Amino acid sequence: MATIIDLPRRAFDTTRSIAMAPVRPLIPAGMVDEWGRDEHVIRALSPLLRMRWNVNVGGDQHLPARAGALLVTNDRRFSFSPLYTSWALAQATGRPVRFVGHPDVVPFGPALRRMGAILRNPAEVRSALHHGELVVLAAAPTNHPRSAGAVDPALVGAAVMAGVGVFPVASMSSPLGRSARVQVGAQLRPRKKRRGPLAEQELAEMTQRHLQRMLDELGGMQTGMTAIDWLGEG
Amino acid sequence: MRGQRLLVSGMGGELGSLVASMLEDEPWVGSLLGIDVDPPRRRLRKAEFLRIEPTDRDRIVDVVTAFDPHVLVHLAVWEPDARAGTDLARAFTEAAAHAFIGAAAECRSLESIVVRSGIELYGRDRHSLTRPDESVVPHPTTEYGRMLTKLEAAARQAGERIGVPVGMLRLAPVLGPHVPSPLGRLLRQPVVPYSLLADPPFAVVEDADAARAFVAAAQRRLDQALNVVGSGAITGLQAIARGRRIPVPLFGPEWGLTRRLSHMVGAPIPDHVLEVLHRGRLADGSRAHELLGVAPRVSTPEVIDRLYAWESVVRVPSPVRGAA
Repeated sequence: MATIIDLPRRAFDTTRSIAMAPVRPLIPAGMVDEWGRDEHVIRALSPLLRMRWNVNVGGDQHLPARAGALLVTNDRRFSFSPLYTSWALAQATGRPVRFVGHPDVVPFGPALRRMGAILRNPAEVRSALHHGELVVLAAAPTNHPRSAGAVDPALVGAAVMAGVGVFPVASMSSPLGRSARVQVGAQLRPRKKRRGPLAEQELAEMTQRHLQRMLDELGGMQTGMTAIDWLGEG
Repeated sequence: MRGQRLLVSGMGGELGSLVASMLEDEPWVGSLLGIDVDPPRRRLRKAEFLRIEPTDRDRIVDVVTAFDPHVLVHLAVWEPDARAGTDLARAFTEAAAHAFIGAAAECRSLESIVVRSGIELYGRDRHSLTRPDESVVPHPTTEYGRMLTKLEAAARQAGERIGVPVGMLRLAPVLGPHVPSPLGRLLRQPVVPYSLLADPPFAVVEDADAARAFVAAAQRRLDQALNVVGSGAITGLQAIARGRRIPVPLFGPEWGLTRRLSHMVGAPIPDHVLEVLHRGRLADGSRAHELLGVAPRVSTPEVIDRLYAWESVVRVPSPVRGAA
Protein backbone atom coordinates (compact mmCIF):
# COMPACT_ATOMS: atom_id res chain seq x y z
CA MET A 1 0.00 0.00 0.00
CA ALA A 2 1.26 3.46 -0.84
CA THR A 3 2.42 5.73 1.95
CA ILE A 4 2.63 9.49 2.04
CA ILE A 5 6.07 10.95 2.55
CA ASP A 6 6.14 14.29 4.35
CA LEU A 7 8.74 16.67 2.99
CA PRO A 8 10.37 19.04 5.50
CA ARG A 9 7.73 21.63 4.79
CA ARG A 10 8.45 23.98 7.66
CA ALA A 11 12.15 24.17 6.75
CA PHE A 12 11.21 24.83 3.15
CA ASP A 13 8.73 27.56 4.09
CA THR A 14 11.31 29.25 6.32
CA THR A 15 13.95 29.18 3.57
CA ARG A 16 11.47 30.52 1.07
CA SER A 17 10.40 33.29 3.41
CA ILE A 18 14.01 34.37 3.99
CA ALA A 19 14.81 34.23 0.27
CA MET A 20 11.77 36.30 -0.63
CA ALA A 21 12.10 38.94 2.11
CA PRO A 22 14.18 41.46 0.09
CA VAL A 23 11.95 41.37 -2.99
CA ARG A 24 8.53 40.97 -1.38
CA PRO A 25 7.83 44.74 -1.09
CA LEU A 26 8.44 45.06 -4.84
CA ILE A 27 5.80 42.48 -5.76
CA PRO A 28 2.33 43.93 -6.08
CA ALA A 29 0.06 41.62 -4.12
CA GLY A 30 -3.18 43.09 -5.39
CA MET A 31 -5.17 42.46 -8.48
CA VAL A 32 -5.91 44.20 -11.73
CA ASP A 33 -9.34 45.13 -12.98
CA GLU A 34 -11.12 43.34 -15.80
CA TRP A 35 -9.24 45.36 -18.43
CA GLY A 36 -5.83 44.89 -16.84
CA ARG A 37 -5.62 48.33 -15.19
CA ASP A 38 -3.59 48.17 -12.01
CA GLU A 39 -4.56 50.70 -9.35
CA HIS A 40 -1.50 49.70 -7.31
CA VAL A 41 0.87 50.63 -10.17
CA ILE A 42 -0.97 53.88 -10.87
CA ARG A 43 -0.77 54.87 -7.20
CA ALA A 44 2.92 54.00 -7.16
CA LEU A 45 3.59 56.06 -10.28
CA SER A 46 1.43 59.03 -9.25
CA PRO A 47 4.29 60.92 -7.54
CA LEU A 48 6.33 60.64 -10.73
CA LEU A 49 3.43 61.78 -12.88
CA ARG A 50 2.83 64.67 -10.46
CA MET A 51 6.49 65.66 -10.79
CA ARG A 52 6.05 65.90 -14.55
CA TRP A 53 2.58 67.43 -14.78
CA ASN A 54 0.66 69.72 -12.51
CA VAL A 55 -2.72 69.30 -14.14
CA ASN A 56 -5.53 71.78 -13.66
CA VAL A 57 -8.83 70.02 -14.45
CA GLY A 58 -11.99 71.91 -15.36
CA GLY A 59 -15.43 71.00 -16.60
CA ASP A 60 -15.42 67.50 -15.11
CA GLN A 61 -18.96 68.12 -13.87
CA HIS A 62 -20.07 67.48 -17.46
CA LEU A 63 -19.05 63.83 -17.21
CA PRO A 64 -21.67 61.20 -16.33
CA ALA A 65 -21.45 59.81 -12.81
CA ARG A 66 -21.78 56.14 -13.77
CA ALA A 67 -22.37 55.71 -17.49
CA GLY A 68 -19.65 55.30 -20.09
CA ALA A 69 -18.39 58.21 -22.20
CA LEU A 70 -15.90 58.79 -24.97
CA LEU A 71 -13.62 61.73 -24.19
CA VAL A 72 -11.86 63.02 -27.28
CA THR A 73 -8.75 65.07 -26.65
CA ASN A 74 -6.23 66.85 -28.86
CA ASP A 75 -2.70 65.49 -29.01
CA ARG A 76 0.47 67.44 -29.65
CA ARG A 77 3.22 65.08 -30.77
CA PHE A 78 5.12 63.53 -27.86
CA SER A 79 2.98 65.34 -25.28
CA PHE A 80 1.43 62.05 -23.95
CA SER A 81 -1.83 63.96 -23.58
CA PRO A 82 -4.04 60.80 -23.39
CA LEU A 83 -1.90 59.59 -20.48
CA TYR A 84 -2.00 62.71 -18.33
CA THR A 85 -5.60 63.48 -19.32
CA SER A 86 -6.81 60.04 -18.21
CA TRP A 87 -4.71 60.17 -15.04
CA ALA A 88 -5.94 63.67 -14.10
CA LEU A 89 -9.59 62.88 -14.88
CA ALA A 90 -9.38 59.66 -12.86
CA GLN A 91 -8.20 61.69 -9.89
CA ALA A 92 -10.87 64.34 -10.44
CA THR A 93 -13.79 61.95 -10.90
CA GLY A 94 -12.71 59.05 -8.69
CA ARG A 95 -13.47 56.65 -11.54
CA PRO A 96 -10.98 54.60 -13.55
CA VAL A 97 -10.37 56.38 -16.85
CA ARG A 98 -8.89 54.44 -19.72
CA PHE A 99 -7.14 55.69 -22.82
CA VAL A 100 -7.02 54.28 -26.31
CA GLY A 101 -3.88 53.14 -28.01
CA HIS A 102 -1.42 50.77 -26.43
CA PRO A 103 0.91 49.01 -28.84
CA ASP A 104 0.49 45.26 -28.61
CA VAL A 105 4.20 44.59 -28.10
CA VAL A 106 6.16 43.88 -24.95
CA PRO A 107 7.15 45.60 -22.78
CA PHE A 108 5.31 48.83 -23.74
CA GLY A 109 1.89 47.32 -24.37
CA PRO A 110 1.59 45.47 -21.06
CA ALA A 111 3.07 48.43 -19.16
CA LEU A 112 0.57 50.87 -20.66
CA ARG A 113 -2.27 48.42 -20.12
CA ARG A 114 -1.45 48.45 -16.39
CA MET A 115 -1.94 52.22 -16.56
CA GLY A 116 -5.35 51.89 -18.19
CA ALA A 117 -4.64 51.68 -21.92
CA ILE A 118 -6.83 49.67 -24.25
CA LEU A 119 -6.26 48.67 -27.86
CA ARG A 120 -6.97 51.11 -30.67
CA ASN A 121 -9.71 48.91 -32.02
CA PRO A 122 -13.36 50.00 -32.44
CA ALA A 123 -14.64 46.71 -31.01
CA GLU A 124 -12.44 47.08 -27.92
CA VAL A 125 -13.50 50.71 -27.41
CA ARG A 126 -17.15 49.82 -27.91
CA SER A 127 -16.92 47.02 -25.37
CA ALA A 128 -15.34 49.31 -22.78
CA LEU A 129 -17.96 52.03 -23.36
CA HIS A 130 -20.74 49.47 -23.23
CA HIS A 131 -19.52 48.46 -19.77
CA GLY A 132 -19.75 52.03 -18.50
CA GLU A 133 -16.10 53.00 -18.77
CA LEU A 134 -14.72 56.49 -19.36
CA VAL A 135 -12.38 56.24 -22.34
CA VAL A 136 -10.00 58.95 -23.54
CA LEU A 137 -9.33 58.96 -27.26
CA ALA A 138 -6.66 61.15 -28.84
CA ALA A 139 -7.35 62.96 -32.07
CA ALA A 140 -4.69 62.68 -34.78
CA PRO A 141 -1.42 64.13 -33.46
CA THR A 142 -0.44 67.60 -34.60
CA ASN A 143 2.70 69.67 -34.38
CA HIS A 144 0.96 72.77 -33.12
CA PRO A 145 -0.28 72.59 -29.52
CA ARG A 146 -3.43 74.56 -30.21
CA SER A 147 -4.54 72.67 -33.24
CA ALA A 148 -7.01 69.78 -33.04
CA GLY A 149 -6.29 66.91 -35.42
CA ALA A 150 -8.83 64.78 -37.22
CA VAL A 151 -10.90 62.40 -35.11
CA ASP A 152 -11.19 58.79 -36.25
CA PRO A 153 -14.86 58.22 -37.21
CA ALA A 154 -14.53 54.45 -36.66
CA LEU A 155 -13.65 54.99 -33.01
CA VAL A 156 -16.36 57.63 -32.56
CA GLY A 157 -18.68 55.07 -34.12
CA ALA A 158 -17.93 52.82 -31.16
CA ALA A 159 -19.56 55.43 -28.91
CA VAL A 160 -22.52 55.75 -31.28
CA MET A 161 -23.03 51.99 -31.29
CA ALA A 162 -22.63 51.76 -27.51
CA GLY A 163 -25.13 54.60 -27.08
CA VAL A 164 -22.89 56.77 -24.91
CA GLY A 165 -22.00 60.43 -25.08
CA VAL A 166 -18.97 62.01 -26.75
CA PHE A 167 -17.22 64.84 -24.91
CA PRO A 168 -14.48 67.11 -26.28
CA VAL A 169 -11.58 67.49 -23.86
CA ALA A 170 -9.04 70.23 -24.56
CA SER A 171 -5.65 69.42 -23.13
CA MET A 172 -2.58 71.56 -23.02
CA SER A 173 0.81 71.11 -21.43
CA SER A 174 4.21 72.68 -21.55
CA PRO A 175 7.06 70.60 -22.93
CA LEU A 176 9.40 72.17 -20.37
CA GLY A 177 7.27 73.16 -17.40
CA ARG A 178 4.87 71.20 -15.21
CA SER A 179 1.79 73.24 -16.01
CA ALA A 180 -0.91 71.33 -17.78
CA ARG A 181 -4.60 71.90 -18.27
CA VAL A 182 -7.49 69.59 -19.04
CA GLN A 183 -10.83 71.18 -19.87
CA VAL A 184 -13.88 68.96 -20.41
CA GLY A 185 -16.58 70.37 -22.67
CA ALA A 186 -20.29 69.63 -22.66
CA GLN A 187 -21.59 66.50 -24.36
CA LEU A 188 -21.85 66.88 -28.12
CA ARG A 189 -25.35 66.62 -29.50
CA PRO A 190 -25.59 66.44 -33.29
CA ARG A 191 -28.40 68.51 -34.74
CA LYS A 192 -29.59 65.73 -37.01
CA LYS A 193 -30.22 62.16 -35.94
CA ARG A 194 -28.64 59.76 -38.38
CA ARG A 195 -29.42 56.08 -38.67
CA GLY A 196 -26.39 55.04 -40.69
CA PRO A 197 -22.64 55.62 -40.80
CA LEU A 198 -23.13 59.34 -41.36
CA ALA A 199 -23.75 59.56 -37.61
CA GLU A 200 -20.14 58.84 -36.67
CA GLN A 201 -18.73 60.77 -39.62
CA GLU A 202 -20.60 63.93 -38.67
CA LEU A 203 -20.00 63.44 -34.97
CA ALA A 204 -16.24 63.03 -35.54
CA GLU A 205 -16.11 66.26 -37.55
CA MET A 206 -18.22 68.04 -34.98
CA THR A 207 -15.89 66.83 -32.20
CA GLN A 208 -12.86 68.22 -34.04
CA ARG A 209 -14.59 71.59 -34.52
CA HIS A 210 -15.61 71.82 -30.86
CA LEU A 211 -12.17 70.80 -29.73
CA GLN A 212 -10.61 73.49 -31.91
CA ARG A 213 -12.97 76.09 -30.49
CA MET A 214 -12.11 75.08 -26.93
CA LEU A 215 -8.38 75.23 -27.69
CA ASP A 216 -8.78 78.71 -29.20
CA GLU A 217 -10.58 79.84 -26.06
CA LEU A 218 -7.97 78.31 -23.75
CA GLY A 219 -4.97 80.19 -25.15
CA GLY A 220 -1.46 78.83 -24.74
CA MET A 221 0.51 77.89 -21.67
CA GLN A 222 2.93 80.65 -20.68
CA THR A 223 6.48 80.05 -19.62
CA GLY A 224 6.74 83.40 -17.91
CA MET A 225 9.70 84.34 -20.10
CA THR A 226 8.59 86.36 -23.09
CA ALA A 227 11.46 85.37 -25.32
CA ILE A 228 10.74 81.66 -25.08
CA ASP A 229 6.97 81.76 -24.69
CA TRP A 230 6.65 79.92 -27.98
CA LEU A 231 8.05 76.86 -26.18
CA GLY A 232 5.29 77.04 -23.63
CA GLU A 233 2.68 76.93 -26.30
CA GLY A 234 2.40 73.25 -26.01
CA MET B 1 -41.23 20.49 -17.60
CA ARG B 2 -41.02 17.97 -14.74
CA GLY B 3 -39.63 14.50 -15.28
CA GLN B 4 -36.94 15.52 -17.75
CA ARG B 5 -34.33 12.95 -18.73
CA LEU B 6 -30.81 14.33 -18.66
CA LEU B 7 -27.67 12.75 -20.02
CA VAL B 8 -24.35 14.04 -18.66
CA SER B 9 -21.32 12.96 -20.63
CA GLY B 10 -18.11 13.30 -18.66
CA MET B 11 -19.86 12.79 -15.33
CA GLY B 12 -16.73 11.22 -13.83
CA GLY B 13 -14.76 14.48 -13.84
CA GLU B 14 -14.96 16.97 -11.01
CA LEU B 15 -17.08 19.35 -13.04
CA GLY B 16 -19.32 16.52 -14.27
CA SER B 17 -19.83 15.21 -10.76
CA LEU B 18 -20.66 18.69 -9.50
CA VAL B 19 -23.15 19.29 -12.31
CA ALA B 20 -24.75 15.89 -11.62
CA SER B 21 -25.08 16.55 -7.88
CA MET B 22 -26.69 19.94 -8.59
CA LEU B 23 -29.03 18.45 -11.18
CA GLU B 24 -30.15 15.84 -8.64
CA ASP B 25 -31.55 18.67 -6.52
CA GLU B 26 -33.49 20.22 -9.38
CA PRO B 27 -37.23 19.47 -9.25
CA TRP B 28 -37.55 19.43 -13.04
CA VAL B 29 -35.01 16.62 -13.44
CA GLY B 30 -36.65 13.20 -13.58
CA SER B 31 -33.86 10.78 -14.39
CA LEU B 32 -30.17 11.39 -14.77
CA LEU B 33 -27.68 9.23 -16.64
CA GLY B 34 -23.95 9.78 -16.64
CA ILE B 35 -21.27 8.23 -18.81
CA ASP B 36 -17.53 8.60 -18.45
CA VAL B 37 -14.32 6.65 -18.48
CA ASP B 38 -13.78 7.40 -14.76
CA PRO B 39 -16.33 6.96 -11.96
CA PRO B 40 -17.88 10.11 -10.41
CA ARG B 41 -15.83 12.00 -7.82
CA ARG B 42 -18.67 12.37 -5.35
CA ARG B 43 -21.59 10.38 -3.98
CA LEU B 44 -24.68 10.70 -6.16
CA ARG B 45 -28.12 9.65 -4.94
CA LYS B 46 -30.32 9.61 -8.03
CA ALA B 47 -27.96 9.49 -10.96
CA GLU B 48 -27.19 6.30 -12.78
CA PHE B 49 -23.61 5.99 -13.98
CA LEU B 50 -22.09 3.83 -16.71
CA ARG B 51 -18.37 3.48 -17.24
CA ILE B 52 -17.77 3.49 -21.00
CA GLU B 53 -14.65 4.45 -22.96
CA PRO B 54 -15.20 7.47 -25.26
CA THR B 55 -13.91 5.39 -28.17
CA ASP B 56 -16.61 2.73 -27.67
CA ARG B 57 -19.10 4.52 -29.90
CA ASP B 58 -21.42 1.60 -30.54
CA ARG B 59 -22.07 1.07 -26.85
CA ILE B 60 -22.52 4.80 -26.25
CA VAL B 61 -25.04 4.99 -29.08
CA ASP B 62 -26.97 1.99 -27.71
CA VAL B 63 -27.10 3.38 -24.19
CA VAL B 64 -27.95 6.94 -25.21
CA THR B 65 -30.68 5.99 -27.69
CA ALA B 66 -32.23 3.63 -25.15
CA PHE B 67 -32.23 6.42 -22.53
CA ASP B 68 -33.68 8.93 -25.05
CA PRO B 69 -32.68 12.11 -23.18
CA HIS B 70 -34.43 15.47 -23.33
CA VAL B 71 -31.17 17.30 -22.64
CA LEU B 72 -27.56 16.36 -23.34
CA VAL B 73 -25.00 18.11 -21.14
CA HIS B 74 -21.75 17.38 -22.91
CA LEU B 75 -18.82 17.74 -20.52
CA ALA B 76 -16.59 15.04 -22.00
CA VAL B 77 -13.81 17.43 -22.93
CA TRP B 78 -10.18 16.63 -22.11
CA GLU B 79 -8.02 19.67 -21.48
CA PRO B 80 -4.47 18.93 -22.66
CA ASP B 81 -2.18 17.94 -19.79
CA ALA B 82 -5.01 17.93 -17.27
CA ARG B 83 -5.75 14.20 -17.24
CA ALA B 84 -4.12 13.18 -20.53
CA GLY B 85 -1.37 14.44 -22.81
CA THR B 86 -2.23 16.66 -25.74
CA ASP B 87 -2.55 13.91 -28.36
CA LEU B 88 -4.69 11.68 -26.18
CA ALA B 89 -6.80 14.62 -25.03
CA ARG B 90 -7.49 15.59 -28.64
CA ALA B 91 -8.37 12.02 -29.62
CA PHE B 92 -10.67 11.48 -26.60
CA THR B 93 -12.41 14.81 -27.03
CA GLU B 94 -13.10 14.17 -30.72
CA ALA B 95 -14.24 10.61 -30.13
CA ALA B 96 -16.55 11.66 -27.30
CA ALA B 97 -18.01 14.52 -29.34
CA HIS B 98 -18.81 12.26 -32.27
CA ALA B 99 -20.26 9.53 -30.08
CA PHE B 100 -22.37 11.58 -27.67
CA ILE B 101 -23.60 14.33 -29.97
CA GLY B 102 -24.17 11.84 -32.77
CA ALA B 103 -26.09 9.48 -30.49
CA ALA B 104 -28.14 12.28 -28.93
CA ALA B 105 -29.09 13.50 -32.40
CA GLU B 106 -30.78 10.13 -32.99
CA CYS B 107 -33.05 10.58 -29.97
CA ARG B 108 -36.62 11.68 -30.69
CA SER B 109 -37.09 13.38 -27.33
CA LEU B 110 -33.96 15.53 -27.51
CA GLU B 111 -34.80 19.19 -26.85
CA SER B 112 -31.47 20.75 -26.02
CA ILE B 113 -27.70 20.27 -26.14
CA VAL B 114 -25.38 22.11 -23.77
CA VAL B 115 -21.68 21.84 -24.55
CA ARG B 116 -18.66 22.66 -22.43
CA SER B 117 -16.35 25.01 -24.27
CA GLY B 118 -13.70 27.51 -23.20
CA ILE B 119 -12.53 31.06 -23.78
CA GLU B 120 -9.31 29.55 -25.16
CA LEU B 121 -11.02 29.44 -28.56
CA TYR B 122 -10.84 33.24 -28.92
CA GLY B 123 -7.06 32.97 -29.19
CA ARG B 124 -4.59 35.60 -28.12
CA ASP B 125 -3.01 36.67 -31.36
CA ARG B 126 -1.43 40.09 -31.62
CA HIS B 127 -4.10 42.82 -31.64
CA SER B 128 -6.82 40.42 -30.54
CA LEU B 129 -9.39 42.00 -28.25
CA THR B 130 -8.56 42.20 -24.54
CA ARG B 131 -12.01 41.05 -23.42
CA PRO B 132 -13.75 39.30 -26.31
CA ASP B 133 -17.47 38.82 -25.97
CA GLU B 134 -19.54 36.10 -27.59
CA SER B 135 -19.89 38.03 -30.86
CA VAL B 136 -16.16 37.79 -31.57
CA VAL B 137 -15.30 35.19 -34.21
CA PRO B 138 -13.10 32.47 -32.65
CA HIS B 139 -9.53 32.53 -33.81
CA PRO B 140 -7.78 29.89 -31.73
CA THR B 141 -4.03 30.09 -31.32
CA THR B 142 -3.51 26.95 -29.20
CA GLU B 143 -4.30 23.27 -29.58
CA TYR B 144 -6.95 23.37 -26.85
CA GLY B 145 -8.59 26.35 -28.53
CA ARG B 146 -8.71 24.49 -31.83
CA MET B 147 -10.20 21.44 -30.12
CA LEU B 148 -12.94 23.56 -28.60
CA THR B 149 -13.67 25.34 -31.88
CA LYS B 150 -14.14 21.96 -33.60
CA LEU B 151 -16.34 20.75 -30.78
CA GLU B 152 -18.57 23.82 -30.97
CA ALA B 153 -18.83 23.49 -34.75
CA ALA B 154 -19.81 19.82 -34.48
CA ALA B 155 -22.47 20.56 -31.87
CA ARG B 156 -23.85 23.53 -33.79
CA GLN B 157 -24.08 21.55 -37.03
CA ALA B 158 -25.85 18.69 -35.29
CA GLY B 159 -28.28 21.10 -33.66
CA GLU B 160 -29.07 22.80 -36.96
CA ARG B 161 -29.67 19.46 -38.68
CA ILE B 162 -32.16 18.20 -36.14
CA GLY B 163 -33.58 21.59 -35.11
CA VAL B 164 -32.48 21.52 -31.49
CA PRO B 165 -31.05 24.52 -29.58
CA VAL B 166 -27.36 24.25 -28.75
CA GLY B 167 -25.87 26.21 -25.87
CA MET B 168 -22.12 26.50 -25.55
CA LEU B 169 -20.62 27.60 -22.28
CA ARG B 170 -17.18 29.06 -22.85
CA LEU B 171 -15.54 28.68 -19.49
CA ALA B 172 -12.53 30.60 -18.25
CA PRO B 173 -9.83 28.23 -16.91
CA VAL B 174 -11.68 26.19 -14.29
CA LEU B 175 -10.07 25.83 -10.86
CA GLY B 176 -11.37 23.86 -7.92
CA PRO B 177 -10.13 21.70 -5.05
CA HIS B 178 -10.01 18.53 -7.12
CA VAL B 179 -10.11 19.87 -10.66
CA PRO B 180 -7.16 18.56 -12.68
CA SER B 181 -5.98 21.84 -14.18
CA PRO B 182 -2.51 22.42 -15.62
CA LEU B 183 -2.76 26.11 -14.69
CA GLY B 184 -3.75 25.36 -11.09
CA ARG B 185 -1.08 22.70 -10.82
CA LEU B 186 1.60 25.09 -12.07
CA LEU B 187 0.56 27.91 -9.76
CA ARG B 188 0.71 25.59 -6.74
CA GLN B 189 4.33 24.63 -7.37
CA PRO B 190 6.75 26.11 -4.81
CA VAL B 191 8.63 27.92 -7.58
CA VAL B 192 6.54 29.42 -10.39
CA PRO B 193 7.76 31.03 -13.63
CA TYR B 194 6.15 34.17 -15.03
CA SER B 195 6.77 36.47 -17.98
CA LEU B 196 8.81 39.42 -16.77
CA LEU B 197 8.13 41.60 -19.81
CA ALA B 198 4.43 40.90 -20.22
CA ASP B 199 2.88 39.54 -17.00
CA PRO B 200 -0.59 39.88 -18.52
CA PRO B 201 -3.91 39.59 -16.66
CA PHE B 202 -6.11 36.52 -16.78
CA ALA B 203 -9.42 35.44 -15.30
CA VAL B 204 -10.57 32.08 -13.98
CA VAL B 205 -13.81 30.55 -12.75
CA GLU B 206 -14.45 28.24 -9.82
CA ASP B 207 -15.82 24.79 -10.60
CA ALA B 208 -19.03 25.31 -8.57
CA ASP B 209 -19.82 28.50 -10.50
CA ALA B 210 -19.23 26.71 -13.79
CA ALA B 211 -21.50 23.86 -12.67
CA ARG B 212 -24.29 26.28 -11.74
CA ALA B 213 -24.05 27.79 -15.21
CA PHE B 214 -24.50 24.34 -16.81
CA VAL B 215 -27.57 23.60 -14.71
CA ALA B 216 -29.12 26.96 -15.65
CA ALA B 217 -28.23 26.48 -19.33
CA ALA B 218 -29.86 23.04 -19.38
CA GLN B 219 -32.98 24.34 -17.67
CA ARG B 220 -33.33 27.42 -19.88
CA ARG B 221 -32.51 25.62 -23.13
CA LEU B 222 -29.68 28.00 -23.94
CA ASP B 223 -29.32 28.47 -27.69
CA GLN B 224 -26.06 30.36 -28.12
CA ALA B 225 -22.49 30.67 -26.92
CA LEU B 226 -21.93 32.30 -23.55
CA ASN B 227 -18.76 33.23 -21.66
CA VAL B 228 -18.61 32.14 -18.02
CA VAL B 229 -15.85 34.10 -16.32
CA GLY B 230 -15.19 35.05 -12.72
CA SER B 231 -15.18 38.79 -12.08
CA GLY B 232 -11.89 40.64 -11.71
CA ALA B 233 -8.52 39.60 -13.06
CA ILE B 234 -5.06 38.87 -11.83
CA THR B 235 -1.60 38.63 -13.32
CA GLY B 236 0.80 35.72 -12.97
CA LEU B 237 3.06 37.62 -10.60
CA GLN B 238 0.14 38.75 -8.47
CA ALA B 239 -1.12 35.17 -8.22
CA ILE B 240 2.34 33.97 -7.22
CA ALA B 241 2.59 36.72 -4.61
CA ARG B 242 -0.82 35.80 -3.19
CA GLY B 243 0.29 32.19 -2.87
CA ARG B 244 3.63 33.23 -1.37
CA ARG B 245 5.43 31.17 -3.99
CA ILE B 246 8.86 32.00 -5.36
CA PRO B 247 8.50 33.86 -8.67
CA VAL B 248 10.98 33.10 -11.44
CA PRO B 249 11.06 35.90 -14.02
CA LEU B 250 11.63 34.65 -17.55
CA PHE B 251 12.28 36.61 -20.76
CA GLY B 252 11.76 34.20 -23.62
CA PRO B 253 14.11 31.43 -24.78
CA GLU B 254 14.42 29.87 -21.33
CA TRP B 255 10.71 29.04 -21.37
CA GLY B 256 11.50 25.91 -23.39
CA LEU B 257 13.81 24.60 -20.68
CA THR B 258 11.34 25.66 -17.97
CA ARG B 259 8.54 23.72 -19.66
CA ARG B 260 10.66 20.58 -19.73
CA LEU B 261 11.69 20.97 -16.09
CA SER B 262 8.12 21.67 -15.05
CA HIS B 263 6.97 18.58 -16.93
CA MET B 264 9.54 16.49 -15.05
CA VAL B 265 8.30 17.69 -11.66
CA GLY B 266 4.71 16.83 -12.56
CA ALA B 267 3.31 20.16 -13.75
CA PRO B 268 3.42 20.19 -17.56
CA ILE B 269 2.80 23.55 -19.21
CA PRO B 270 0.70 23.03 -22.37
CA ASP B 271 0.63 25.78 -24.98
CA HIS B 272 -2.69 27.24 -23.79
CA VAL B 273 -1.30 27.70 -20.27
CA LEU B 274 1.88 29.21 -21.69
CA GLU B 275 -0.35 31.60 -23.62
CA VAL B 276 -2.07 32.61 -20.37
CA LEU B 277 1.30 33.54 -18.89
CA HIS B 278 2.50 35.36 -22.02
CA ARG B 279 -0.60 36.97 -23.48
CA GLY B 280 -3.21 36.71 -20.73
CA ARG B 281 -6.75 35.42 -21.00
CA LEU B 282 -9.76 37.61 -20.31
CA ALA B 283 -13.29 37.55 -21.66
CA ASP B 284 -16.49 39.49 -21.22
CA GLY B 285 -18.82 37.35 -19.14
CA SER B 286 -21.50 39.96 -18.52
CA ARG B 287 -24.21 38.24 -20.58
CA ALA B 288 -24.23 35.12 -18.42
CA HIS B 289 -26.31 36.77 -15.72
CA GLU B 290 -28.69 38.24 -18.26
CA LEU B 291 -29.33 34.96 -20.09
CA LEU B 292 -28.87 32.33 -17.38
CA GLY B 293 -29.91 34.25 -14.30
CA VAL B 294 -26.73 33.15 -12.57
CA ALA B 295 -23.30 34.73 -12.51
CA PRO B 296 -20.09 33.46 -10.96
CA ARG B 297 -20.16 34.21 -7.24
CA VAL B 298 -16.45 33.87 -6.63
CA SER B 299 -14.12 36.46 -8.16
CA THR B 300 -10.86 35.57 -9.86
CA PRO B 301 -8.62 36.76 -6.98
CA GLU B 302 -10.79 34.78 -4.52
CA VAL B 303 -10.47 31.63 -6.64
CA ILE B 304 -6.70 32.10 -6.66
CA ASP B 305 -6.68 32.57 -2.88
CA ARG B 306 -8.73 29.39 -2.48
CA LEU B 307 -6.39 27.58 -4.87
CA TYR B 308 -3.59 28.13 -2.36
CA ALA B 309 -5.79 27.36 0.62
CA TRP B 310 -6.82 23.91 -0.62
CA GLU B 311 -5.08 21.08 1.16
CA SER B 312 -2.53 19.17 -0.90
CA VAL B 313 -3.30 15.95 0.91
CA VAL B 314 -6.57 15.36 2.74
CA ARG B 315 -5.94 12.93 5.58
CA VAL B 316 -8.89 10.78 6.46
CA PRO B 317 -8.39 8.98 9.78
CA SER B 318 -8.53 5.21 9.56
CA PRO B 319 -11.94 3.92 10.74
CA VAL B 320 -10.30 0.83 12.25
CA ARG B 321 -7.87 2.84 14.37
CA GLY B 322 -10.66 5.27 15.31
CA ALA B 323 -12.86 2.41 16.53
CA ALA B 324 -10.02 1.00 18.59
